Amino acid sequence: MKTKKIIFTSVLTALALVSFVIEASIPPLTPIYGVKLGIANIFTLFTLYSIGAPYAFALLILRITIGSIFTGQLVSFLYSLAGGLLSFLLMILLKRFFPLKQLWVLSVLCAVTHNLGQLLTAILITQTPQLMYYLPVLAASGIIAGAFTGLCAQLVLKRLQKQISKQLNT
Amino acid sequence: MKTRTWIIIFSLACVLCVCVWLYFSAFFSPSETVGIYQDGVLVRQIDLSSVTQPEEITLSGEYGDNVILVSHGHIKMKSADCPDKLCVKHGELKSSASPIVCLPNKIVIKFEDDAPSADAVTGR
Repeated sequence: MKTKKIIFTSVLTALALVSFVIEASIPPLTPIYGVKLGIANIFTLFTLYSIGAPYAFALLILRITIGSIFTGQLVSFLYSLAGGLLSFLLMILLKRFFPLKQLWVLSVLCAVTHNLGQLLTAILITQTPQLMYYLPVLAASGIIAGAFTGLCAQLVLKRLQKQISKQLNT
Repeated sequence: MKTRTWIIIFSLACVLCVCVWLYFSAFFSPSETVGIYQDGVLVRQIDLSSVTQPEEITLSGEYGDNVILVSHGHIKMKSADCPDKLCVKHGELKSSASPIVCLPNKIVIKFEDDAPSADAVTGR
């Protein structure tokens, strides 16, 4: 049922947006840009595993666009988009190798790629290769944040996947 | 691969990253060049890593003298004639986010950035 899938995706997009805005209003823990949990990513992973890749892509793009409008930072739009697209590419390429039980591994890989994409964009925009200095911190924070969001999505999916697939197929 | 293998791989990667970061921050400080400004005008620029002998710099303003102490890798306000001595209490200059400021004599001591930092670009 296509309509049901679209409705599910839009509800999840709304949830992702809310979590994105709430997270953006929490003051950053470190002065390094990019070190954060990325709670909104839970919903991208959730959609990818429960509904499908095209829907997850729609959610990602909508969340980044509307989220940047809400938080009012145009520059962060570019960073989010670069990181988001790069990690989504990796996500759909590697999805077949990771069953639901190892979703968190995929999430960690994607989070690191996301931070790498953001860092490369920052280097391109500011023309300062010295920003590579932040790579180890961003990689470490990506591993921790990715494991957290991946586990969240995995645990929720474990409990809800049956109901969702039942809903979508009736 | 088993879940345990992944956990070990990621923990090792995390530890490695932290080690690399510590190594970086111990050996390459992003900026060691300090600028001393009075009335918004650059009075002196010092590369703290090339200072060998401790040196005292005295700046005088409307409210008396400020004595700045420079040594290898460190800079601080040693004494000031102003009443509240906030600049002396500030201690050593540590980060570009908190410069040493003496309001009465309009003196600012801060790190000079060679490159625009991430803060300037993202507005954070």
